Amino acid sequence: MKLKDYFKDRTLFLLINFMLFAIMCSIMLLIDIRVNIIILIFCIWFLPVFSYMITEFIKQKNFYNEVTNIMDDLDKKYLLSEIIKEPEFIEGKLLYDLLKHANRDMHEHVKKYRDMESEYREYIETWVHEIKTPIASARLIIENNQNEVTKNINYEIKKVEEYIEQVLYYARSNNVSKDYVIKEVSLNTLVRNVIKRNSRDFISKRISIDIEAVEGTVYGDVKWLEFILNQVIGNSIKYIREKDGMVKVYSVKNENNVVLTIEDNGIGIIDNDINRVFEKGFTGENGRRFGKSTGIGLYLCKKLSDQLGLGLNLTSIIGEGTKVCIIFPLGKVNLMS
Amino acid sequence: MAKIIIIEDTETIREELRTFLTKYGYETVAPTNFQNIVDYTLREEPDLILLDINLPVFDGYYICREIRKSSDVPIIVVTSRDNEMDELMSMNLGADDFVTKPYNTQVLLARITSILRRVHGVKTQDLITYNDLKFNLSNGSIIYKGISSELTKNEIKILSCLIKNKGKIVSRDDLMDFMWNSDSFVDDNNLSVNVTRLRKKLEEVGMKENIETRRGLGYILP
Repeated sequence: MKLKDYFKDRTLFLLINFMLFAIMCSIMLLIDIRVNIIILIFCIWFLPVFSYMITEFIKQKNFYNEVTNIMDDLDKKYLLSEIIKEPEFIEGKLLYDLLKHANRDMHEHVKKYRDMESEYREYIETWVHEIKTPIASARLIIENNQNEVTKNINYEIKKVEEYIEQVLYYARSNNVSKDYVIKEVSLNTLVRNVIKRNSRDFISKRISIDIEAVEGTVYGDVKWLEFILNQVIGNSIKYIREKDGMVKVYSVKNENNVVLTIEDNGIGIIDNDINRVFEKGFTGENGRRFGKSTGIGLYLCKKLSDQLGLGLNLTSIIGEGTKVCIIFPLGKVNLMS
Repeated sequence: MAKIIIIEDTETIREELRTFLTKYGYETVAPTNFQNIVDYTLREEPDLILLDINLPVFDGYYICREIRKSSDVPIIVVTSRDNEMDELMSMNLGADDFVTKPYNTQVLLARITSILRRVHGVKTQDLITYNDLKFNLSNGSIIYKGISSELTKNEIKILSCLIKNKGKIVSRDDLMDFMWNSDSFVDDNNLSVNVTRLRKKLEEVGMKENIETRRGLGYILP
């Protein structure tokens, strides 16, 4: 707040004062009062007015400076009204009360949505568990009646399961900490499990697999890691070239991280799309051409990786293949063992 | 014959699981009334219990705890709840294993076998016979009328898969899937080579019936 602005704000008040004084001045000049007296009256009139205005200005300036400073330092800006002192001047008081009121209302509003969201998430989680029972039944029926038809149904049911898993992880992706158990995870076992889950696709599409160079252990939650890797490998399978498809997985241990790379020789991603693959709902050129993309898989992977503290990046050359790196950081504790 | 009790309230799963386990040579009991389930179970004296968690009347945890008070019978908890807490809780209450729905039936079967073997201390030889051929899964040897031969890891898998499905055509894809799921990620060429070698070994021990190729369909052991 600048002095100039403050006075500008009170132009009307000052103008009236000056006009009144001017009128009085002309009256006083008419009745032949001496100039000295007029100057004295001017001083008597305007000195208190200005000194009052200046003290007011200082008071207000201090208050607003404090508020601005608090605002700048504040992490959650909406908590402002909880932190500032109640001002002593009337306009400040009024505004302070209004701000508090608005804040309270906003909190209630936010709470309503938070409740709605968590209710919805809980419902989804229950639903996912419920739907697993009929799926398990269906799988058993297939197991007991094996033939060409049920084999194909089984394949489709596996896909349904994948989609259901995606729903579950999507619902949970906002608070990973709820079911997250860190254990030592063998990369080799992790990769093998995911390959096994996708064995049908690898075999029927005649995709060769090279996982010789996967070794070492990392620290993380097996379920979440498997989900991320499954999405990535699922993409490799989806966008593999028609002949001589190959997926290569290998790990490299660096000084302070372990990098797991999944490389395929699929159709690749055009340069324009590459920076946006982790965006929610982004399907890109490949999605348009092949029409099998929902734009959720990689978005979820990125989101989960961020929450698990993993790095995830993707490079691709159109027509040559795509390379996804999952970076597991190694902390001091991990390095010691 | 080992006796397995299936405590499960979903009818389809209960019945299908019975059919499935009966097919693999287990005696199964599946109660439909859950009122006095603990007493019932103890009276039946099963060799193994498959226990669901979400049940009417009492939940699986309670049943597990009650059974443990008076019996050491192996319990496998089968549930659709798949968070670590449930697993931990089941284990703490004395369950021997934890399988989540929808389970892979082969995995379930393998766990049942391994627990039964461990608990009863029976050293099963893992011996499969096919006509006059004796096939030892644990060391990979085949004996046919006194002549023996050793098989490699992949050959063992191929032969065991074909014997399991004897008389039926096993497609190349199914055979490969079977191998992939037991950690041998073989490709098309590899499979052909392995089958050829296996056929030769079977020939060497003098077996008359050998693996036949059905063009475009797969392999078959008659």
